[in-house]
Amino acid sequence: MAIEITIPKLGLTMKEARLVKWFFQAGQTVAAEQTVALIETDKVSFEIVAPSNGLVNPVVAEGTTVLVAQVIGYVAADEKELEQLQKENPAEAGTLAEHLEDKSSEEKGEKTTPGTPGALKLKPGERIISSPLARRMAGEHGLDLAEIPGSGPGGRIVEADILQALAAPPKTEPQKADQVQEDFESNLDLTLADEIPIQGVRKVIARNMHLSVSTQAQLTLQTDASASGMQNFRKKVNKIIDSDEVKVSYNAIIVKAVAMALRQHPNINASMDGEVIKVWKQIHIGVAMDLGQGLIVPKIRSADTKSIISIAGELSQLADKAKNKTLLLDDLQNGTFTISNLGAWGVDHFTPIVNYPESAILGLGRIVEKPYVKNSEVIVDPRISLSLTFDHRIIDGAPGAMFLKTLTRMIEEPLLML
Amino acid sequence: MSERIISTSAALAEALHEEMARDESVFIIGEDLVSHEGIFGQFKGLPTEFPGRIIDAPISESAIAGVGIGSALTGMRPIVDMHFSDFVTCCMDEICNQTAKIRYMSGGQVKVPMVLWCPDGAGLRAAAQHSQSLEAWFVHTPGLKVVVPSEPADVKGLIKSAVRDDDPVMFFQHKQLFARQGPVPEEPYLIPLGQAAVKREGNDVTLLCYGSSYYLCKEAAQVLVDLNIESEIVDLRTLSPLDMETVAQSIRKTHRVVIVHEACLTGGYGGELSAIIQDELFDYLDAPIKRVAARDVPIPFSPGLEDYCLPKVSDVVAAVRAVTYK
Amino acid sequence: MAEDARKLLELFQCMVTIRQFETMAQEYFAAGEIPGFIHLSIGQEASSVGVCSCLRPDDYVTTTHRGHGHMIAKGADLKKMVAELLGKKTGFCKGKGGSMHIADFSIGILGANGVVAGGLPITAGAGFSIKMRKTDQVAVCFFGDGASNRGPVHEVMNMASVWKLPIIFVVENNQWASTTPQTSTGSVQDLSIRAAGYNMPGVLVDGNDLLAVRNAAMEAIDRARKGEGPTFIENKTYRIRGHFEGDPQKYRTKAEVGKWQKKNDPIDLFSKYLIKNKKSDKSSLDKIRKDVEAELGDAVAFAKDSPFPEPKEALEDLFANSYKGGSPS
Repeated sequence: MAIEITIPKLGLTMKEARLVKWFFQAGQTVAAEQTVALIETDKVSFEIVAPSNGLVNPVVAEGTTVLVAQVIGYVAADEKELEQLQKENPAEAGTLAEHLEDKSSEEKGEKTTPGTPGALKLKPGERIISSPLARRMAGEHGLDLAEIPGSGPGGRIVEADILQALAAPPKTEPQKADQVQEDFESNLDLTLADEIPIQGVRKVIARNMHLSVSTQAQLTLQTDASASGMQNFRKKVNKIIDSDEVKVSYNAIIVKAVAMALRQHPNINASMDGEVIKVWKQIHIGVAMDLGQGLIVPKIRSADTKSIISIAGELSQLADKAKNKTLLLDDLQNGTFTISNLGAWGVDHFTPIVNYPESAILGLGRIVEKPYVKNSEVIVDPRISLSLTFDHRIIDGAPGAMFLKTLTRMIEEPLLML
Repeated sequence: MSERIISTSAALAEALHEEMARDESVFIIGEDLVSHEGIFGQFKGLPTEFPGRIIDAPISESAIAGVGIGSALTGMRPIVDMHFSDFVTCCMDEICNQTAKIRYMSGGQVKVPMVLWCPDGAGLRAAAQHSQSLEAWFVHTPGLKVVVPSEPADVKGLIKSAVRDDDPVMFFQHKQLFARQGPVPEEPYLIPLGQAAVKREGNDVTLLCYGSSYYLCKEAAQVLVDLNIESEIVDLRTLSPLDMETVAQSIRKTHRVVIVHEACLTGGYGGELSAIIQDELFDYLDAPIKRVAARDVPIPFSPGLEDYCLPKVSDVVAAVRAVTYK
Repeated sequence: MAEDARKLLELFQCMVTIRQFETMAQEYFAAGEIPGFIHLSIGQEASSVGVCSCLRPDDYVTTTHRGHGHMIAKGADLKKMVAELLGKKTGFCKGKGGSMHIADFSIGILGANGVVAGGLPITAGAGFSIKMRKTDQVAVCFFGDGASNRGPVHEVMNMASVWKLPIIFVVENNQWASTTPQTSTGSVQDLSIRAAGYNMPGVLVDGNDLLAVRNAAMEAIDRARKGEGPTFIENKTYRIRGHFEGDPQKYRTKAEVGKWQKKNDPIDLFSKYLIKNKKSDKSSLDKIRKDVEAELGDAVAFAKDSPFPEPKEALEDLFANSYKGGSPS
């Protein structure tokens, strides 16, 4: 029996997707779990993997909009079955064959030969960074690279990491996922409403967050600051520039404040790499943005050298790019510090997780008017909550607090940034 | 074998004495050879021992190289001294269009037993036209063999093989190494072309080098011991034909490679070597291949400028640390 | 110098062979059977034959991209020549050289050359080697008026003179360097006067007069064999065909070519000489032409029947010792 390739439901709201491309031509051999097609929803790109070993038979053309659960192709067990299928389900668009023809040579590089010794059951596109040797060793020892933290540059998994994983005591065989689910459901009498595969961006976030907390010794300091200085400053600036195109946001002011504070506390702008602390010359501030399907952190490069107005301009451009999915790799790489702002959702303090391999992250809460005692008088003051998480392996509590103090002063008195 | 310590120049002179005594068809032609017995003393004793077989030519590189090829085609075994390797540019037609191709173009009718002896390399404050390392040009010319020895003992064994080889051999010898001393066996011996030498064994990284870069690697390996990194030094000795077997054996063991050469980085032999290694040994690599080489500028004159441009021991150490993640 | 009739007919036959060979090449090239490009020496046969007929088999010759005549005059096998032009496995160079790199080392041809003046330095080496080996061979170097303007010519002539190398420099001044005339590219019109600068004899010869060329060559060869050093012979001639086959020849008039063709064809001149001096008659000469035609026909048939080399043979013949990590003998 031929096995259907269908469009999965990704998240609660998804109804349809666009079939971007096929990675296999009709009749080509595919191995289970290999990526066969790429689809795109309004939020994410998603790779569809083959449900089984066999010969691929696409029936929906590239560029077509497809519904959740729609069959877009089949995997036939053998030639005979393929022939039968092709009779029953001819390819939808005439151009399909041509598309595949064009793509075939480009895509060859991404295919892995099924059954090659050492080939991993990795889902392509996950971009687990590892050395070729590490990949081969993991394959030979049946290790899942996704479960191995990388110690090389950019988190690259290298031989040493594999050796360490091999030396670690074997884990007790985890229960099969189905079993767990079944138990879970039967024990608690729960009914499954939706099932979202942990894939793509989600998987990357999951891995990075885990890597961050499992590698670093994270500590969060919390304080708040008066936002009145910043509010006045923002009003003034926006009045002066009087532009429809750029409006200075609180985020822009805080990016600048953080950058200038980092200049005074360079040891915060650092990463731990093996046995050394690498202190960076450049200050690249990442600003976390939520895309619905996941988090993305575009960077303001050398923020300390830029004006607040140009930072504001860049931030709005980056937000547009994120929305339109036109961010470039350069927009996302090599940050040295991250800011996460949850103020829009009414949050005050929280414990942000460091964006590994950076060493610190600033969490911003909402700006809200609160009673505040100043010069023995209770006044109404707009307050903003600040939460600084940092890696205690390389930054102690006091230096962290001093950085936060500098930052607080700059937020309260933006002129200090000059 | 006796442990006799002599200079590179002496090793070369000894080898040539042996070969010229053995084979009457061997002669040496070039510029300013007789009165100085070679500008680096490399032909010491030869003019008196073999009168008429070590010849001062007019300053005419095309004609000199032509004497090499024409006499090689008609029964002689010429050694053409290029004076400074930089001057190969004055006879590139003779080397690349004629010498390298004549056997092939004629369908294998002839042999071209000829050595082009090219003193190369920087460090003598000799500036841009007397300091180059041009070996990659000739590796890129099918029909030439390319030898770049480092230690005195290699020079002796390799020049003898080059003289006896029936194909044209570009023999690059670093000018700064002539005075370097090392153990050289007294008895005649050959080192075959196309055979690399593992000159230090180690498990953590393979240092691929040739000519002067061998000495950089040797020093770097000492420094790296303190960092708990054991380097394996593979002195390629011959770039064409390349002894890929020895290279591969080492990389299969160490999984990390640093290639070191004195020639400038871009388009250097290291690029070619990297390509071969990633192609044949991809799954054995635990780190990207690193190259250590000279800066991509002509070799400048002023000492500070020249030193800045040349690869240093610290560059090798840094590259090794990067590939070993230490 | 008095030549016996038999020798004279041999010379005639040789010139005719070259002419017919090149006419064949011209036709086969036009028909698309010869790959690449070819350069013909039609009209210059007296230079090839006049010089090479004075050489011994063990003497050396370096020739040029316009070298079919020199090869044939030195005694090359026609079958292997045609086969090489057609790119066949049975050619002199197994299809690796073609017209421009045709060579037969067994008869002392040290290569044709795709590089203008490329053969001169090689001749220096051959001459030097003769001196080292103390034989009485000589080396002849053919080159053109175009080549005479290249640097290696200066280097080699100086060296040959200083060391009294047994070399005969033969410049075939056919008046056209590719598309540029000697009148606008040469500092002197008679190149042989440059010999004075190298302290060697320079001889200007009517290059289309076979016997004149032969006389000059004999004298030069004799000098060289006696160890008296090199001679510079200038054979003044004319290139009837374009630089290469298919050359549109916009740089000269048909009238200029026609004048040389009609009045100065070396083969016509020589046949008239033979008949006038009663060394031969028209019917004997026609018979020679027929014989040559038959021989060439056989050569062409051989070449056409020959296989092309296997593509992978492209990887052979690069090195004589292609050991890898082995030991040289």
